[in-house]
Amino acid sequence: MDNQPMLKVTDLTKKFGSLVAVNQVNMEICRGEIAGLIGPNGAGKTTFFNSITGIYRPDGGKVIFKGVDISSFLPHKICKLGMSRTFQVSRAFVHMSVEDTVRVGAYNRTTEKTVGAKVEQVIELCELGEIRKRVCSDLGLASLRKVELARALATQPDLLLLDEAGAGLNTTELASFMELIKKLNQEYGITFCVVEHIMQMVMGLCHHIFVLDSGELIASGSPSQITRDQRVIEAYLGKRAVPC
Amino acid sequence: MKAQPFYKRLPIALLLVILAAALVPLAFRSNQYAMVLVTTVLLFAVLASAWNIIGGMAGQLDLAVGAYVGLGAFTAGTLLIRWNITPWLGMIVGGFVATGFAVLIGFPLFGFKIKEVWYALTSSALVEVLRVIFLMWNEVGGPTEVYLPAGTNPWYSLRFNTYTPYFYIMLVLLILVIYLNHRIRNSRLGYSLLALGEDEDAVEVLGVNSQAAKLKALMIYAFISGVVGGLYACIYGFLHPSFFSTAMSTEIAILGIVGGMGITYGPLIAAIFLVSFREFLRASLGGQLEGLYLVVYAVLLILIAMFQPRGIAPLVYRGYQKVLALIGWRRHGQPADAQSH
Amino acid sequence: MLETVTQSIITGVMMGIIYALIALGLSIVFGVMNVVNFAHGDFVMLSMYLSYVAGTVLVWDAVATPLITVPFLFVFGVVTYYLLLDRTLRHLYVVQLAITVGLQILMRSAALIIWKAQPRALQYSFIQGSFEVGGINILTSRLAAAAVSLLFIGAIAYFLNKTWAGTGMRAASDDLDAASLMGVNYHRTYALTFGIGAALTAVAGGLLMSFQQTDPVGGVRFGLLSWCVLALAGLGSLPGLIISGIIVGVAETFAITFFDPRARLLAVYLIFILVLWLKPRGLFGRR
Repeated sequence: MDNQPMLKVTDLTKKFGSLVAVNQVNMEICRGEIAGLIGPNGAGKTTFFNSITGIYRPDGGKVIFKGVDISSFLPHKICKLGMSRTFQVSRAFVHMSVEDTVRVGAYNRTTEKTVGAKVEQVIELCELGEIRKRVCSDLGLASLRKVELARALATQPDLLLLDEAGAGLNTTELASFMELIKKLNQEYGITFCVVEHIMQMVMGLCHHIFVLDSGELIASGSPSQITRDQRVIEAYLGKRAVPC
Repeated sequence: MKAQPFYKRLPIALLLVILAAALVPLAFRSNQYAMVLVTTVLLFAVLASAWNIIGGMAGQLDLAVGAYVGLGAFTAGTLLIRWNITPWLGMIVGGFVATGFAVLIGFPLFGFKIKEVWYALTSSALVEVLRVIFLMWNEVGGPTEVYLPAGTNPWYSLRFNTYTPYFYIMLVLLILVIYLNHRIRNSRLGYSLLALGEDEDAVEVLGVNSQAAKLKALMIYAFISGVVGGLYACIYGFLHPSFFSTAMSTEIAILGIVGGMGITYGPLIAAIFLVSFREFLRASLGGQLEGLYLVVYAVLLILIAMFQPRGIAPLVYRGYQKVLALIGWRRHGQPADAQSH
Repeated sequence: MLETVTQSIITGVMMGIIYALIALGLSIVFGVMNVVNFAHGDFVMLSMYLSYVAGTVLVWDAVATPLITVPFLFVFGVVTYYLLLDRTLRHLYVVQLAITVGLQILMRSAALIIWKAQPRALQYSFIQGSFEVGGINILTSRLAAAAVSLLFIGAIAYFLNKTWAGTGMRAASDDLDAASLMGVNYHRTYALTFGIGAALTAVAGGLLMSFQQTDPVGGVRFGLLSWCVLALAGLGSLPGLIISGIIVGVAETFAITFFDPRARLLAVYLIFILVLWLKPRGLFGRR
């Protein structure tokens, strides 16, 4: 792992009126890692994501990505730097085809001349060849998840944030999804941060796990450390563990 | 979004259509009224097709085309009157003036997460405000018409006795604008705009600068409208604050929406039918009841918006086909239709 | 000079309060339903014409006409909602806007056809006339209109805060799904909201008819005024709305007095643009 972490979040705070959704959270993700972010519902995971990707403006703290302070950057600038994300609730381009959806993302780091090749590459990688012409509104959940991943992938990110991308998938779909992430991580060197409720996915994929509860970071460590952490068990794992 | 399949399949038909259009003036040579009608149809078609870029693709309800046309008209007209600069040049300058204004309005209003409604409201009021300004600005306009000099060379001052030359200029402009529509659709800007209309947050995290994209669309559309404005002044032969017309602005938006937001040929088709209809009403009813056409337009807009509102591209394309079928216009062989579902 | 300025301010304040009442209707609809009714100004125009009709046909005083026009506009609002907006709630925003634009054109053209282009005014009102206070000339009707407007704004505030229906409206604006889970029928709430928004314009319209005339394009003016007040005020603050109304009213009056009567809209538009440039959430906005 690199000396300098790819993503360094310091004391990040986000408030909505008097509600503190994210409270002084610290996080470091190293290059090439697959990091996990878990916590009960309402813990602030999606708000956290929104705050580091520029959709929300943080009220306090700093976000440093690849050495650049992106705390006040707009989302598109952050993407240009190399951070992409998917959304928890599917935000597909409902009326566009799979191909066109991927293309929108692909334009991020390509020119008119090279964009076609990038689209082809991503479609092949994510095995979207069969449904490439289908309109997104016609797709089932598993395919939609793949399309959203493909779309974000097309932007050629260095760091990819996945927000509950595995939710609603059955066992087989989940397994192949996990395989794809592993492949992207190991062969293409993409760093990941994964928000998940599915313990199987978190334990099976992540090198390092952060645990959020009520907006605060309550634990951080390797999967085996986390499963043994008292606070985590109390807050979350104890009631929700899905046997691996 | 690829260009509509039938476009690729029938390039010959397209050439034939253009040829037919080019021959129209020969058919109507004696009938000046008919020439006025078809030229007006073309003018509205150009404006509506330009509107398509900001309305259909960028998804902004722009109601300011009258502002840009007026600005273009007054710029070109004043340049001709004061300094004898040919409207060919004046039009271009007019386009830039219009674009400048557009940016002034659009820049703050296209920021990330500002609701579209504010742009719609501001644009709508802009027309009226400019009208009042030019009403009071006696040096350039004022309440009476300011006539454009005919000059010695009609091709220099763009002042002709018949409508035929104007028709051809408009036709060329229309072809250019439609081609532009097509090119944008298949470019980064086009894809960005289309996706923007679907979900602005999602598109931003994919690296698309939504504000810049909307501004680009606005600038292109405003420039074209300004240029048309310059022509407008030449066709009418005078300048008057009524050029800043709220009625025209809403009409163009209606043509764009009813024709099918974002569909390249939509505004043209809408222009042909609706503008002809309006002229027909005006001719047969005349006087006060001519306001009736606006009622029809409004009802049409409401009906279309309510029952065929499904956003951009394929679904509107489908609805557009239904509308065509309703009007009784049949296009042969639509294998594309079967494919796109 | 000072006298002219003071006169303008006083007049502007009174007009501003009336504008605040008009904007209130728009604000409620926008706040609860997230729809900006393009035709709002034309609702005012319609109510003024209806007051004119009631005033001439029934020979009623302008200030009494709201007794008829308010229920009428309320029903008109509810019907418009069910006819046009209810089905399109989940559609693209642009589409919803387009519908209200269509409504606006419809109303304007219809008014033009029915009542033709010349302005209409009512003959006599019992609150006609004016009086002097320290050198300032105050139009009784304008003062009365402002006072009544203030009353109604207060009444609406009470309604929103203290009654079930009002609370339902506030809840619906915050979280639609939660509100409906708690038994708030959001269709009815929306219809009620829209109806109230329309009815409020009738109050203002009737009051305005006691000292102004109406024409088919009045909708443009009232529309711009209400949007400007709304933009300036932001959402969520009733006092803020009143203050913003006053600012706009004074600005308009200043423009008329010191610049050019035809330029009244320019001042308002300038404020509108500046607010959107500098403070898109408005001066007093809560969200």
